[in-house]
Amino acid sequence: MTDKFVSIRNLRFLLHEVLNIENLTQFDHYSDHSRETFDLALDTAHKIARNLLLPSLQEMDKNQPTFEKGIVHVHPVVKEFIQECGKGGWIAANASYEADGQQLPFSVTTACHFIFGAANYSASVYPLLMYGAAHLIESFGSDQLKREFIPSIFSGKWQGTMALTEPQAGSSLGDIQTQAIPTDENHFLIKGQKIFISAGDHDAVENVVHLMLARIKGAPSGVKGVSLFVVPKKRRDESGNLSPNDVNVSALYHKLGYRGAPIVQLSMGENGDCHGYLVGDPNKGLSYMFQMMNEARLAVGVGAAAIASAAYYASLEYTKERRQGRRLFDKDPDSEPIRIIDHSDVRRMLLFQRSIVEGSLSLVLQCCLYSDMAGVTTGDQKSKFSLLLDLLTPAAKTYPSEMGVMSVSQGLQCLGGYGFCDEFPLEQFYRDIRIHPIHEGSTGIQGLDLLGRKVVMHDSKAFVLFLDEVCSTISVACEIPDLKPYAEKLQHEINALREVTYGLMMLASSGHNEDYLEDSTLYLELFGIIAVAWQWLKQGIAATKQLERKLSQSDQDFYIGKIMTMKYFFLYELIKTYGLIERLSEEDGLTANFDDKFFAD
Amino acid sequence: MKSLVCLKQVPDTETQIKVNADGSGIVTDGIKYVINPYDEFSVEEALKLKEKFKAGEVVVLSIGPDRCVEAIRTALAMGADRGVHVCDEAVNNGDPFVMAQTLAAASGNIEYDIIFCGHRAIDDDFAETGAMLAELLKIPQITLVTKIEVSADKKTITCERDIEGGKETVESPLPCVVSSQKGLNEPRYASLPGIMKAKKKPVDKKTFADLGLTPDAKLVSKNFSMPGSRQAGQKFEGMEPQEVAKTVVQALRSEAKVI
Ligand SMILES: Cc1cc2nc3c(=O)[nH]c(=O)nc-3n(C[C@H](O)[C@H](O)[C@H](O)COP(=O)(O)OP(=O)(O)OC[C@H]3O[C@@H](n4cnc5c(N)ncnc54)[C@H](O)[C@@H]3O)c2cc1C
Repeated sequence: MTDKFVSIRNLRFLLHEVLNIENLTQFDHYSDHSRETFDLALDTAHKIARNLLLPSLQEMDKNQPTFEKGIVHVHPVVKEFIQECGKGGWIAANASYEADGQQLPFSVTTACHFIFGAANYSASVYPLLMYGAAHLIESFGSDQLKREFIPSIFSGKWQGTMALTEPQAGSSLGDIQTQAIPTDENHFLIKGQKIFISAGDHDAVENVVHLMLARIKGAPSGVKGVSLFVVPKKRRDESGNLSPNDVNVSALYHKLGYRGAPIVQLSMGENGDCHGYLVGDPNKGLSYMFQMMNEARLAVGVGAAAIASAAYYASLEYTKERRQGRRLFDKDPDSEPIRIIDHSDVRRMLLFQRSIVEGSLSLVLQCCLYSDMAGVTTGDQKSKFSLLLDLLTPAAKTYPSEMGVMSVSQGLQCLGGYGFCDEFPLEQFYRDIRIHPIHEGSTGIQGLDLLGRKVVMHDSKAFVLFLDEVCSTISVACEIPDLKPYAEKLQHEINALREVTYGLMMLASSGHNEDYLEDSTLYLELFGIIAVAWQWLKQGIAATKQLERKLSQSDQDFYIGKIMTMKYFFLYELIKTYGLIERLSEEDGLTANFDDKFFAD
Repeated sequence: MKSLVCLKQVPDTETQIKVNADGSGIVTDGIKYVINPYDEFSVEEALKLKEKFKAGEVVVLSIGPDRCVEAIRTALAMGADRGVHVCDEAVNNGDPFVMAQTLAAASGNIEYDIIFCGHRAIDDDFAETGAMLAELLKIPQITLVTKIEVSADKKTITCERDIEGGKETVESPLPCVVSSQKGLNEPRYASLPGIMKAKKKPVDKKTFADLGLTPDAKLVSKNFSMPGSRQAGQKFEGMEPQEVAKTVVQALRSEAKVI
C-alpha cells in the first residue's frame, strides 16, 4: 500500500489555476506572500501530515481518550502535533503580524488543514479550535483578554474550545441556561452544564480556554439574551500561578468515530467559584459566536472532503491490486482474473468519489477566497464577497458532509469484505466521517439557514449575486466547444433553481411558512449539487486552458482526467437534481401533516 | 560556528521510478522532488551548532537544475541563512567526481568551520562525493556520523560514528567534512515564519564558468534497467521436519547454489 491520502497536485491546481489566489498578493495585507510561500506552506503541511499525523491514525482510533481522576488523557501524538503547530506558527497563521501571525490567506490555511485532516482528522481539530477561540477574543475581546489569552493559545500551550451545547439546547441555542452572575469585580460567576464539548479537556495542554455561551442573570429569553464569556479551566491567582477555576469534567463520551478527539461534559460553578470574563457587549454573544461557527462550518466541510480524499486514495490503490473476475464476455475460466479497477462499475465508484472530493474541496476553497477578499476590499466589493460567503457556507458545510459519507461508503464498497474489516482503514473513515452532518449545526439546521435566512436576506441580494457568478462562469464555458454542452446543462439547472426558489418565496409571502420550509433540507441538497457543478465547470475551464500549452505527459493526463471527472459529475450527479426540483415544486405539506399516530406501526 | 551544508535534491522516496525508453536515465516527468533525507540531518545539525554557539552562519550549497531552488528555500525556511546554487547543464547530472570538483570550487568563496555532506544521496546511492570533496580540499573527513561535539574554541570536533556492531568515537581538527547518518538528529519542520523569512534570504546562482572549471567526469553511465521481477518462493509442505530440512539444504546447494 502507498500511503497517499491527498493530491498536492490537485490542491495547487485549485489554488493557483482555478482560484488564482496569487491575485491576493496585490493587496497590501498579503503583499509579502507569493506563490512560492503558499507552495512551501502546502509542502510543509504535507510533510508534517505524512510524518507526524498519518502514523497515528489507526492508533488514535483504537486507543480512545480515557478519563481518570477528573483528567482526560489523549494520545501522546496530540501534544507533539499541537506543539509543532504552536512552534511552526500554524495556529496563528491567519492572524495579523501585530498579533504574531503570518497573514496567510484563509484559502491557503484551509488547504493545509485539508492535508492535516486527510492524514488524521481527529488530530487536525485541536489547532483549529485554538485558532477559532483566539480569533474570537481578538475580534471582540478587551485588550486585557487579548493579552492574557491569545499568546498562550497561539503558542499551543492552551487549548481553545467553543462551548455552546447544553443538555436541553443543541440545535436551539436560544434555550441556553448556563448562568452568569455579575460581581463587583471584572468577572462573572458562571454556573451550568455543557455537553459534547470538543477538546473540552485533555492532558496535551496546560490549560483549556472555553469560549462559552451563557445568560447574564435577568437577560431577555431566547437568542437576544445570550452572552459570550471566556471561561478558563484554570485562572491566574494573585501570585500569577494557574489554579483551578471550578470547571469540572463530569463525563467523557464514547463515540462512533473521530475517536482521537475527546468530547466532554462540563460542569461549571459546582462550588460557586467559576470565573467568566465577558467578551464584547452583553447579550450579543450569539452573533459573536457566529464568527467562530462560520469558520468552523467551513472547517467541517473541508474535514469531510479530507476524510473522503483519504478513503478515495486507499480504495484506488486497492482496486489496482486486487484481481477478481473476468471481462464480461471472457468465457475462458483459465484466463487470468482482471484487476477490479478494470470493471466499469468499480471505475464508476472511483469517479463518484473523486468528483465528490474534488468538487467539495473546490467549493470550500471558493468560500475561503471570498472570505479573504472580503477582508481586503471595501464598500460594494466587500459586501458582495461577504454575502456570497454567507450564502454558500451552509452548502459548503453540508454538501461535503452528506456526500462525503456516501463517498466513503463507496470507497469501502470497492474493497468488498476487506472494506468492512479493520485491516484496512476504510471502516474507520466510514465511522470518522459520520460526525460531519451533525456537528456545527446539523444538516436540517443548515437547510433552514439557507432557505429561511440566507436566500431571502437583503431582498435576496446574495442569491442574485450567486446566480450572476454562476452565469458568468457559464458564459466563459460556452465559448469552449468541448464544455458548451455542460455549460448549457448548468444554465438549465440555474433557471430551475431560480424558479423553485421564487415559488418557495411566494409560499412564504402568502403566509404558508411551514410549507415553505418543510423541505428546506432538500432545497439545500439541490443548491449544493448546483454549486458543486459550478465549481466543476470552473475546473473544466481552467484545465482546458492549460491543455492549450505544451505539457508533460503527466500534466496532460492530469488535465484530461480533470475534464473527464467534470463530465462525470454533470452526467451522473447533476441529473440527481431532477427529482429534487420536482419535489420542491409541489406544495402538499405531506410531512408537516403526517400525524404522530400514523408512525405507530 | 560557520557551517557549509552540501544539499542535493532527489526524488521523493514515494515516487515510482521508471527507466526511460532508451535506458539512458529515468523518466523525470511527474516526479516529486525533496531534500535528500541525509542532507536534512545536515541542515538540522548545522542549525543546532549555530544555536549552540549563538553565532555563525549556515550556508546551503546545491548543484542541479532550476527546481533545486525549492530544496534550498526549504532549508532556508528551516533556518539556514543563505544559499548558493550551481546550475549548469554541464554538471547538473555529473558523476560524483564532477560534483565534488564543483562543490570544492564553490566552497572556495565561503567561510566555514565544518562542511556537512549526507552520508549518501538516495537517488544514485554513490556515497562518494563527501570523501572526494574532503580529498580535493585536503581536509579530514569523518563518515557515518551520528553525534557531534565541537570544542568551545571551535578547533576540534568529536564525533560518534556507526561501525559494525557498535560506535566509534573520532576526534579531528576543524575544518573537516562530516557525512551525516540517520540517527544524528530529528530534522525540524520548516515553520511559517521561517517560510516568510526564507523568501528574503539570498540565493546566489552560479554557472560552471563562474567557478572557472572544466568538468572531468570519471564515470560513464551506460545503461539503466529495472530490477527483474522477483521469482515466487518455493513452499515445502506436507513433510516431516527432518525431511524439510534435508530438502531445503539440497535446494540451497543445487538450485540456489548459495552453500
Ligand atoms: C463529536 C461531537 C462534537 C461536538 N463538538 C461540540 C463543541 O465543540 N461545542 C459545542 O458546543 N457542541 C458540540 N457538539 C454538539 C453539536 O453541535 C450538537 O450535537 C448539534 O448541534 C445537534 O444538537 P443536538 O445533539 O442537541 O441535536 P438536536 O438539536 O436534538 O437535533 C436532533 C435532530 O433534530 C433535528 N432538529 C432539531 N431542531 C430542528 C429544527 N428547528 N428544525 C428541523 N430539524 C431540527 C436536527 O437536525 C437533528 O437531526 C458536538 C457534538 C458531537 C457529536
